[in-house]
Amino acid sequence: METPQIDNTRIADASRGALSRDDIERREKVFSVNDLAVSYSGKVALQDVQLDVHRNTVTAFIGPSGCGKSTFIRCFNRMNDLVPGAKVEGSVLYHGADLYGDDVDPVEIRRRIGMVFQKPNPFPKSIYDNIAFGPRVLAMKGNLDERVEGALRQAALWDEVKGRLKDGALGLSGGQQQRLCIARALAVEPDVILMDEPASALDPISTTRIEDLMHELKRDYTIVIVTHNMQQAARVADMTAFFSVVVHEDGSARRGILVEYDTTAKIFTTPSDKRTEDYVTGRFG
Amino acid sequence: MRIELQAELDALEAGFQEAGEIVLRSIRGALDALQSQDVELCDEVIAFDDEIDERYLAIEKQVELVLARQNPVASDLRLVLALLHNGLHIERMGDQCVTIAKLTKLSSHLGAQPAVVEGLADMGERCAEMVKVSLTAFADRDLEQARELHQLDDLVDRANRQVFDEVLGYVHDPEALEWGMRQITVARCFERIGDNAVDIGEQTAFLVTGEFAEFTDASHDPQPL
Repeated sequence: METPQIDNTRIADASRGALSRDDIERREKVFSVNDLAVSYSGKVALQDVQLDVHRNTVTAFIGPSGCGKSTFIRCFNRMNDLVPGAKVEGSVLYHGADLYGDDVDPVEIRRRIGMVFQKPNPFPKSIYDNIAFGPRVLAMKGNLDERVEGALRQAALWDEVKGRLKDGALGLSGGQQQRLCIARALAVEPDVILMDEPASALDPISTTRIEDLMHELKRDYTIVIVTHNMQQAARVADMTAFFSVVVHEDGSARRGILVEYDTTAKIFTTPSDKRTEDYVTGRFG
Repeated sequence: MRIELQAELDALEAGFQEAGEIVLRSIRGALDALQSQDVELCDEVIAFDDEIDERYLAIEKQVELVLARQNPVASDLRLVLALLHNGLHIERMGDQCVTIAKLTKLSSHLGAQPAVVEGLADMGERCAEMVKVSLTAFADRDLEQARELHQLDDLVDRANRQVFDEVLGYVHDPEALEWGMRQITVARCFERIGDNAVDIGEQTAFLVTGEFAEFTDASHDPQPL
């Protein structure tokens, strides 16, 4: 008997889920990291890191304390340049160009690759001036009011602050301050937003807002996040990299390594490496 | 080490194995009632189903709590999902036993045909063995043993077809035919119990490998009854 032809479109639509690895890898490479090693005053903090970050995705770095995940995210906008004795080896390509090339201006890098930190750090200025600060310094063209409103809207803060833009930013709640910092990063039209534990100092409701925001923002930006909260990585990230710590035989030195990098679905359901399995199931670290 | 999560997973798995032992008793009860045409034993098997349902609901509740409170991932998550499926398979097996007991009761006045009873007993024994194998394979995370369930199921399917052929021979004897028609449903119940044991085997494979695959695919491999 001939097999009947069945239209599976509706069935396929019903099973839409996380992005597949192929879907992600088809997207443009924003960062391409090869044989990266970072040392502080000669002591290796992180080595043998190799991974690509793709456009319009959220990539999470997870791992125990001291595994080098914060060190690593700081390589993406050359924040380690500011640490005395820090040395970055290997290569970090940004849209194919060497991020550490001699002709690269770290200030321009930090405009295009914005960063949000664990603790919200608004300037002691008005809400408006916090957002307007970057565009003013960079002498960006266009209507400043519109730029401020646009950034606040993108950071899902506009409705809460539109009537008090001249008020001090330090009067906002912790969650609002963090969204203000995200808006401040967005106001200079970045390409990438790096987030180093952006919700670890926030209450659960504010955390949810930031996570929702990440889902929204990845349509226009590429997001890289370091998080201690594994469930947060599982909720927001398309790709997850697990870093671990290797201790030298005599216990004298610890260095971070990249253990596994795959889709978040894979990392949290069927990780390939036993060390990842032990970490995500809470049997280690 | 997440001590509380591990303790809850251990308790959940022990609850599943216990439910499995209980359903085995139900299968044996239904089989004995069929062979001896014992109506009282049929009633006991029917009443016993409440016990199986309680175990199933306990597993489901515990799974809900573990998912809500412990956020299991990776192999822990697979274990919880597999146990949720397995609990349902056990509950279904219990339902099949109830149907077997009800049909045995319903047709007890019609006079049993020894050849068919023998065929059904063969099916029932094989099913009980399959359930035992499925429980052990799951407990031992034994992929080889789990895969053997597929071969064991072929034997049950073959016995099912033999029962069907035997009943076809009663076409000119209305009373024997009525009895036989009911026994075809009994055979179908045993056949489903075998399928549920295979399903538990597939959950073992999912737990061990992380890949879910049916050992056989009914939609692509049609077998005439």
